[in-house]
Amino acid sequence: MMFGLAWNEIIAVILLVGSLFFFLASAIGMIRLPDFYSRLHASGNSETMGLMLACLGLVFYEGPTLTAIKIVIIFLLVFLANPIGTHVLGKAALKSGHPITPVDKEEE
Amino acid sequence: MKTKDMLKDETIVGSPKKHLVVLTIVLFAFWILLSGKMDIKFLTYGLLTAIISAWICVPLLLMPNADGTKKYFIFDVPLGKYAMYWLWLLNEVRKANIDVVKAVVRSEMEINPQLSKFRIKFDNPMAYTTLANSITLTPGTVTLNVTEDGLFEVHALNDGFAAGLLEGGMQEKIAELFGEPFIYEVIEEGEEQ
Repeated sequence: MMFGLAWNEIIAVILLVGSLFFFLASAIGMIRLPDFYSRLHASGNSETMGLMLACLGLVFYEGPTLTAIKIVIIFLLVFLANPIGTHVLGKAALKSGHPITPVDKEEE
Repeated sequence: MKTKDMLKDETIVGSPKKHLVVLTIVLFAFWILLSGKMDIKFLTYGLLTAIISAWICVPLLLMPNADGTKKYFIFDVPLGKYAMYWLWLLNEVRKANIDVVKAVVRSEMEINPQLSKFRIKFDNPMAYTTLANSITLTPGTVTLNVTEDGLFEVHALNDGFAAGLLEGGMQEKIAELFGEPFIYEVIEEGEEQ
C-alpha cells in the first residue's frame, strides 16, 4: 500500500502514464512531420506502443478476470486491424500520385 | 464454392476436414471466452453455432496462391511458432517505437522520408500478409504496395529504418515460419524492373 493505492493500481498508473507518453509523442509527430507519408509513421506510435501499455495497465487494474482476457482480445484485434487501415491510406496516396519526398522547408 | 465441394477439393493444402474441425474449435473457444458461462445449455448453443458458422465460412477462408494451383487455409499455420514470432515482433515494435519518438521529438528532426523496394518470393499468401502487416505495424516503416509477383514498396521515415528493414531479418524469420525457401533481393534506386 502506497498513497492509499493497492499494488496493482500502482502498476496500472505507471503503465497508463507510459502509454500517455507515447500518445503525446504521436500527437507531436503528427504536427511536426512535414508530409502525409511521414505522418503515417507518427500514428504508428499511438496505435502500437500506446495502446499496448494502456491495455496492459487495464489488465493489471482488472486482475485475473474474464474482462482482462477480453481487453487482451481487443488489443489483439487492433494489432491485426490497424496496419490494414494504415496500408489502405498509404496505398491510396501512392496510387493517386502523392509525391514521396516532402516539399523543401526553405520553399515554404 | 460450397463446403461439400470443398471437402473433395484436391488442390487445398492439408486436409479440408481437419481445417473444418480447427475452425469449429477456434470459434467455440472464442464463444466460451466471450460468454464466460459454463452451463450445459450455453455450451450446447455455442457448439451448435460454432459448427454452423464453421460449415458456412470455411470455403471463404481459403486463399489461392499466385499461379492458382494451390489453395491455402488461412489458419493453417504452426501456432506455437506463430505465437513466438508475434512475441519477437512485439519486441521489435517496442524498439522501433522508441526510435521514432527520438527521431520526432528532437529539436532538429532526424527524418529523411524515402521509398525502399525489395522483392521476395513466397507461395503462401498468408506469408505476404504477415510480412506486410508486420512491416506496417513496426513504426518507421509502412508498406505502401505489394504486387502479385512479390515486389514490396515500403516507405521509411529515415535511413536507419530503411537499412534495418532491408537487412532482411524479418523476411527470413517469416520464410522460416511458413517453411518457404528464402528468395530475397533488394531493389536499388533507379533499376526498377
